[in-house]
Amino acid sequence: MIHPSLDTAAASTPDVSSPPGRKLQRPRADCTAHSDGSLTFDVRLSDETGKKAAAPEADEHAAVLLRLRHHHGPDASLSLPLARAATDGGLRATLPATTWLREGRWDVYLARTGEPPQRLLPGIPDLRSLVGGALFDAHAWLGVRIPYTTKYGNLTIRTWVRRPHAEAGTLRIDDATIALHGTLYGAQLSPTACLEAHPRDPAAPTVRVPVRPDQEEHPGRETAPQHTPGPQHPQRGFAAVLPFNSLLPGRQVWDLWLRPSDSEDPVRLARILDDIPDKKHVFSYPSRHVASPDGTAHAVRPYYTVNNNLAVRVRYEASVKEE
Amino acid sequence: MHISFLIFSAYGMGGTVRTTFNLAQALAEQHEVEVVSVFRYRDKPFFEPGNGVRVRSLVDMRRRSPTYDGADPEHAQPARVFPSADGQYARHSALTDRRIGAYLAGTEADVVLGTRPGLNVHVARQTRRGPVRVGQEHLTLATHSARMKLLLSRVYPRLDAVTTVTEADARDYRKTLRLPGVRIEGLPNSVPKPQVTPSDGSGKWVVAAGRLAPAKRYDVLIRAFADVVRERPDWGLRIYGHGRERGKLRNLIDELGLYNHVFLMGSAHPIEAEWVKGSICAVTSSLESFGMTIVEAMRCGLPVVATDCPHGPGEIIRNGQDGLLAPTGDVSAISGALLRLINDDQLRVEMGRAALTASARFDPADVAARYEDLLTSLAGRPAGALRRARGTLLGGAYAARETVRLGVGHALEGARA
Repeated sequence: MIHPSLDTAAASTPDVSSPPGRKLQRPRADCTAHSDGSLTFDVRLSDETGKKAAAPEADEHAAVLLRLRHHHGPDASLSLPLARAATDGGLRATLPATTWLREGRWDVYLARTGEPPQRLLPGIPDLRSLVGGALFDAHAWLGVRIPYTTKYGNLTIRTWVRRPHAEAGTLRIDDATIALHGTLYGAQLSPTACLEAHPRDPAAPTVRVPVRPDQEEHPGRETAPQHTPGPQHPQRGFAAVLPFNSLLPGRQVWDLWLRPSDSEDPVRLARILDDIPDKKHVFSYPSRHVASPDGTAHAVRPYYTVNNNLAVRVRYEASVKEE
Repeated sequence: MHISFLIFSAYGMGGTVRTTFNLAQALAEQHEVEVVSVFRYRDKPFFEPGNGVRVRSLVDMRRRSPTYDGADPEHAQPARVFPSADGQYARHSALTDRRIGAYLAGTEADVVLGTRPGLNVHVARQTRRGPVRVGQEHLTLATHSARMKLLLSRVYPRLDAVTTVTEADARDYRKTLRLPGVRIEGLPNSVPKPQVTPSDGSGKWVVAAGRLAPAKRYDVLIRAFADVVRERPDWGLRIYGHGRERGKLRNLIDELGLYNHVFLMGSAHPIEAEWVKGSICAVTSSLESFGMTIVEAMRCGLPVVATDCPHGPGEIIRNGQDGLLAPTGDVSAISGALLRLINDDQLRVEMGRAALTASARFDPADVAARYEDLLTSLAGRPAGALRRARGTLLGGAYAARETVRLGVGHALEGARA
């Protein structure tokens, strides 16, 4: 005998999946970063079986559409035609390594004839080729594309375009200094190269410390680059030591830059050459307590900004305790 | 057969949900399968229930739903069937008692499977005459309180079978509970074949994944990795998952100066995409009732370094062939095992391949076939009700003695039917 309340409960909570006539789920794309620097989107129109859905017939104009968030105009949208993949007959679009994309967050849509673009959900990503920080010397600029899942569960590609680029590597923090190792791409280190800390408050002066050439192995990275750096991407390991007392006193955020030589513009120090779209919470560093000459207690901590740029935050100890 | 799983919540993201859906989907190839969720907290399950698996719920806990049950006065009354010895007692109520009871009294299923002790008590006491009654143990007998053990020894004789996820736990059940006439089978959790190609063993990452909970002993892993970094600073460790230990682990990483080598990654879904970025999986728990992440990593082609803790790892890993076992909590043994695989590329790749092959036995199709054998033989058993009645009497007699043996006085409060 079925209890009335059970009837109600069952009726109000319909089947999540009932095979015949079920509503088509939102399409997904399996993103694969290939070792040649290209990114492919294998589109699945239904997630039911995890298999690639049959391509819709007669839609020759189906495409994966990339749209740069918060931007409009010709370089804020890119259409990648979908074609049947030779391997398994599924629908595949390719973003070649050579395609230039502005820096930002590109939301990924499925565009079909006669239908408004539909936001794609992430499928199974394969980003292992990004982990080692391999670089592709196919073009005059350094481009990074990392597919990720937004907090609403959608597929987006985080992109960076830099030239030259200063990649931050290991950081060692002791009681008085930050020792930083990194790699400079697309520029030469001169004897006058220096690390610059630019205060967010323009009233404070820029801090400069010398930079020396250096090679160090970075955890999880290829010891030797997979692709030999070509003339467009000369790369050079560097090291610099930034004393905390140069950043005191006061409450301040310092953005770190590398100036390759007196006559060149500074290059932003960032960490973008891997598979992690948001470094801020993954690459976390300890805070150090430092007193300024007048005895005021400060807390100093390097961190990555939301754009994966390297910065150092200096706070008064008291304000640290308040937070 | 019509097979019905009774689960606390099919909408959560825990291991029981995942393994239940895996099994349900594999059984659904041949059978009619439904998953009945006591509670519904979200509109859609976190994991895909899979092709042909019906999901329904008994108590709607979505505040904005027109059929929200959370404000029902009956839900404020304590449960009397769901036992207080079960850790989820506080979430249950007179309302859940009644709804679960109605479902079990009216079910058209041929087999009903409970997925935690409290629900198994419901299945044992309230299922109508006819269906095969199975109680699944996803944790272990050893981790239950004496009060719970006593309760189970009195109630489980009314089941046809109890399944555990390891042989070790099945032995414990046979030895400790003495359930006359009840089949006790160790049937492992299943893990589907990943949709990514396996790891090639070249990435210089050790990967761990699981809730950041004390029993996972990630502190031990981080300390072991400090030894690894001294010898191999080119390798890193990624730990996936959230949990209340995060702050402590963060401090330990900073204290040991490992912030360039050890990373707390947060949770990742699907996790298989993260396993294949690594070359070695590490599990340093003090307790693993099964060891789902070990199987997941092996199915992605990773050799696993694990502590030989109760109960799962030793039954999944063949030490020295598809992974390495180290004594529980032994930091230097763990770092030694990690370094052995890190320093020997060929060994690492070979063990990864062996892990890939060996872990195929956990495929849902294989595990479902073992379930099918069990369920079919139980469904064909004659005079189930009579045998159970006898079992119940005997069970009661055993339980009286157990009361003394397990050192428990008043064990059955909250379990009156």
